[in-house]
Amino acid sequence: MSWELFAVFLGSSIRLATPLLLAGIGEMVSERAGVLNMSIEGMMLTSAFAAAVGSWATGDPLLGLLLGILAVQPIALLQAVLSNTLRANQIVSGIGINILVLGATTLAYREIFGARSRAEIPGLVKIRPPLLGDIPVFGTAVFEQVWLFYAGIIIIAITALVLRYTSVGLAVHAAGAEPKAVDKSGLSVTRIRYAAVLFAGFMASLAGAFLSIGDIHTFTEGMTRGAGYLAIASVIFGKWRIGGTVLACLLFGAATALQFQLPAMGISVPNALLIMLPYLLALMAVGGLVGRQMAPATLGEAYRR
Amino acid sequence: MTVIEQPGPLLKRFAARPALLGSLLAVAFAALVGLVLIASIGVSVPDAISAFVDGTVGSPYSIAASINRSLAFALVGFGFILANRANLTNVGGEGQIAVGGIAATAVALYGHVSGLPFGLSFLLPMLAAVVVGAAWGALAAVMKVKAGTNEVISTLLLSFIGVWLLYWCVQSPALLRKPMTTSATLPESLEIPDATKLPLLSGDYSFPLHIGLPLTVVIAVVVAVLLSKTVFGLRLRAVGLNPVAANRAGISYARTVVFALASAGALGGLAGALMLLGEQYTLKDGFSSGYGFDGLVAGLLARGSVTGVIAAALLFGFMRSGGINMEMVAAVPTALVVVIQGLIVITLAGATLFIEKWERP
Repeated sequence: MSWELFAVFLGSSIRLATPLLLAGIGEMVSERAGVLNMSIEGMMLTSAFAAAVGSWATGDPLLGLLLGILAVQPIALLQAVLSNTLRANQIVSGIGINILVLGATTLAYREIFGARSRAEIPGLVKIRPPLLGDIPVFGTAVFEQVWLFYAGIIIIAITALVLRYTSVGLAVHAAGAEPKAVDKSGLSVTRIRYAAVLFAGFMASLAGAFLSIGDIHTFTEGMTRGAGYLAIASVIFGKWRIGGTVLACLLFGAATALQFQLPAMGISVPNALLIMLPYLLALMAVGGLVGRQMAPATLGEAYRR
Repeated sequence: MTVIEQPGPLLKRFAARPALLGSLLAVAFAALVGLVLIASIGVSVPDAISAFVDGTVGSPYSIAASINRSLAFALVGFGFILANRANLTNVGGEGQIAVGGIAATAVALYGHVSGLPFGLSFLLPMLAAVVVGAAWGALAAVMKVKAGTNEVISTLLLSFIGVWLLYWCVQSPALLRKPMTTSATLPESLEIPDATKLPLLSGDYSFPLHIGLPLTVVIAVVVAVLLSKTVFGLRLRAVGLNPVAANRAGISYARTVVFALASAGALGGLAGALMLLGEQYTLKDGFSSGYGFDGLVAGLLARGSVTGVIAAALLFGFMRSGGINMEMVAAVPTALVVVIQGLIVITLAGATLFIEKWERP
């Protein structure tokens, strides 16, 4: 493989990993606090749709992104109410939300776009950072990315610092591991978990917007195609740690990028196998390649005082 | 806090069955939202309703087609409640249907079964689907027992893999794609031989109910008896309630989990075989689309009861047929039916707390 081709491969791996990274880190924070959001998939799809509509209607992708973020918060709130206040089964309620969103976005898409499907939608701009962007061969191919990717990196770095060094991070971790102790210390487990789910919703909305107005500049029905579930798998693969989750997302992104890379190199592998590859890797990951898993102690269980 | 202190006369009859009442209310609420949505997209509600009714019970054909659809939902639903008795959540119906369909097609087309007597020509493809589906389900179980992998995430990932396997099978001429004579050859299998198609009960395509119906009824009875009257049902429940205590009592956790998920997978595979051998006859990409999730929802709605699964499966079978007709006749997208299903699941999930409080105040 030539250096040029390798650079393109790296660049598309990063591009394809970005939505997983954004959604995965949000989901990791929520799972640390004890709430499993199967609805990440639905949240991403909501935002992908709302961002596309907003960008198409106003001509401004920034307003599209804003609409995407705003559209997901009610859904995240619904998930938080179901998981914490109503103590519903988190898996069931999450899947219910995904079914609802798939139906609702498909319905709304047909209503709004109708025959004008595949309408040209203004997308977020790409930036090439100084220094990194000036590296020969690699500069443009690898580092010229949609600005949302760089914004995401900054958010992820801040999240890592907050989790590691602040009392907020400690509270999030404790809400998942020892909710009773949190309760006794005078903090509200419910409030921490609500906040964590809303944060997961915010990150999923960035991920969804990246799909529709960052990456391909159009919306298609059900376009997340399981990316939300891959994000959840990356959290498990990453053992509920930021570094591990980031690596898992990059791996899934690289596996997806192979779909385009191998044919370009003249290697013929069945297309279906390549599309399947990230899911196969995820399955192997959750199936014990990473050793026995260390999930937060109360993951998926509602807290009862 | 008690939810109902003085049940009104109308509620009194249902008061003993809060779960049933809850399900009915959830369905009614979702249907109401559906009607509002129909009105809001500018379609006449009476037109939409009449198209819906025509698609469900308008002709003998539509009735039989709706029931045939329900069979797949019911089988996946039975598998769901069986595994759920052991506190396992099988979300892999979609992939189990897909691999079942692949196995049934492969045996029907290339297993030299058409000449066999006693119905073996269609029973063997069905058996293949059951075996492959069971293996697909057992895989998730083994991962759970060996590595502690949550079966929700593994069955989901296996679903995606199964669905892409199906795509692979119908895209590749080396697998199940029909011989490519021109570049316009569709990515689908050959039509299965007549002898491997499921016999119709009436012998007439204007009322295409097939033998999958009596088979599903038999399976319903078996599952109901298994869950409520056998030692095995008790084992499932024991493992579901407290795996550690069950293990102390000599019940093998590993064996129970493997059996529960393999059974669920087998029923999903059988559902795929019925769809393929009973109505579709050629394997196409996406033939399982949404059936696994509908079956899962049927299982959820039923709250552990076999009759509940049957009721929900029939509801969804008729809803799907009605939805398809609404799209063709009244221009209401079928996605509306998906919205209604999502609302049903969310409403019921959210109401569990109240239903349980009511059942055990």
